[in-house]
Amino acid sequence: MTALVRAELSKTLTTRTLWGFLAGGVAFATLNAVIVGAASGTLDSVTEKQEALSGLPVLLLVWGLVGAAGEYRHRTAAPAALVARHGRGTLLAARMTAYAVAGLALGVLVSAAAVAVALPLLADQPGPALTTGQVTGVVAANLVAGVLSAVLGVAVGALVRNQVVGVVTMLVVNFAVLPLVSGASETLGNLTPFGASSVLSGMTHDTTLTTAAAGLVLAGWTAAVAAAALAGERRRDLA
Amino acid sequence: MSDDTSTTPPLLVADGLTKRYGRTTAVDGLSFTVRPGAVTGFFGPNGAGKTTALKLLVGLARPTAGTAFLDGAQVRTTVSDPTRVGVHIEPCGAHPGRTARAHLRALATMAGLPHERVAEVLDTVGLTEAAGRRVGGYSMGMRQRLGLAAALLGDPQLLVLDEPANGLDPRGIRWLRTFLRARAAAGRTVLLSSHVLSEAAQTVDDVVVVDRGRLVHQGPLAELERRGTTLEDVFFELTGGVAA
Repeated sequence: MTALVRAELSKTLTTRTLWGFLAGGVAFATLNAVIVGAASGTLDSVTEKQEALSGLPVLLLVWGLVGAAGEYRHRTAAPAALVARHGRGTLLAARMTAYAVAGLALGVLVSAAAVAVALPLLADQPGPALTTGQVTGVVAANLVAGVLSAVLGVAVGALVRNQVVGVVTMLVVNFAVLPLVSGASETLGNLTPFGASSVLSGMTHDTTLTTAAAGLVLAGWTAAVAAAALAGERRRDLA
Repeated sequence: MSDDTSTTPPLLVADGLTKRYGRTTAVDGLSFTVRPGAVTGFFGPNGAGKTTALKLLVGLARPTAGTAFLDGAQVRTTVSDPTRVGVHIEPCGAHPGRTARAHLRALATMAGLPHERVAEVLDTVGLTEAAGRRVGGYSMGMRQRLGLAAALLGDPQLLVLDEPANGLDPRGIRWLRTFLRARAAAGRTVLLSSHVLSEAAQTVDDVVVVDRGRLVHQGPLAELERRGTTLEDVFFELTGGVAA
């Protein structure tokens, strides 16, 4: 299993996809910090200020999805399965683990960018300054959201096996369906993976779900979809 | 070429393999054997079910019915072992944005093989100089060589190749023929599919012909030669084609 995780990690590092998503993540975090910290008026509460430190976990979800579905698009799933000395379920679990590890590293870099840009801007805002604990809390929650999102993305990618279909579906759900659901019922919206991820990362605050509960909701979704992907991977042909 | 048809147990057995996709039957009760230490050619017209049958034989696809056995063990119930079987059939590929060396290194790590094997197989297939280039820039022949390199990582007992000569230039085809004959001479086993019958006739010991998913012929190539016929004649006769 360790060898499989190492191999999957090396695969993530030897294409330009990871670096593209890292650049996108840093760019988004910087832009978000500037918009929230300097351009959105007065921030006088802790939760408003914490929003400036948010990353974009959905980006890691898309990264995991693109990577996992790419195994089928580029026909690399079969040669991996043929040499892995383990079942396909174990191989997919190793892929999820590798994306969790790489996703954590990616999340750390994105959060570092967010903190570096946001804190000086927030210092000019009225109200209580963010304590070290509050900054650490929002960064930790973003890292958890990022790791879970990356694993969820791999699971969705393994189920869908088509990058375009997967990414378009994810974007439609996130940017079209979720607002409608949340508009009808905030609680229901928060219980979706995207809603929970948004609460966990601090993008949505002062809502019906606590950060810890949002983490549990997102973890539940991730576990359920991962279980479905693992079961499917064991049964489906590589064709 | 080897002409040994003795009672050595077969290395690979297809026993009533059937694969259906909805109403389409791609492979229909296919049974044949592959003996060790020989090159077995797997022939059939387009759409005859060759690639699907190969996928069933190596465990990439699950049969609707029937069983494949490798060295007496059911393929479906065993985990992959690159020292036993090396495979290059569609859908085996490589990420276009990754270098050939990185692709093979990842596979070697997965297989628990030393990274020295990567350099060895790159050298074997003649890709050493191009190993640092991204696969997206490779020609079809180079991709074939890379696929073969991946199949050879574990120096397997059985090599399963789907149309391995596709995209190779005449020098590459000659190299492949010599390489596969050398493996058979060393006691290794090869199962390959091909459309190029005249070329395959110079490479194979045994012949398996399928048509519409069914076995229509199995036997040593030497037997055809003794009957004064050719692989091409047999192919057209059994698959309903028209000889030139």
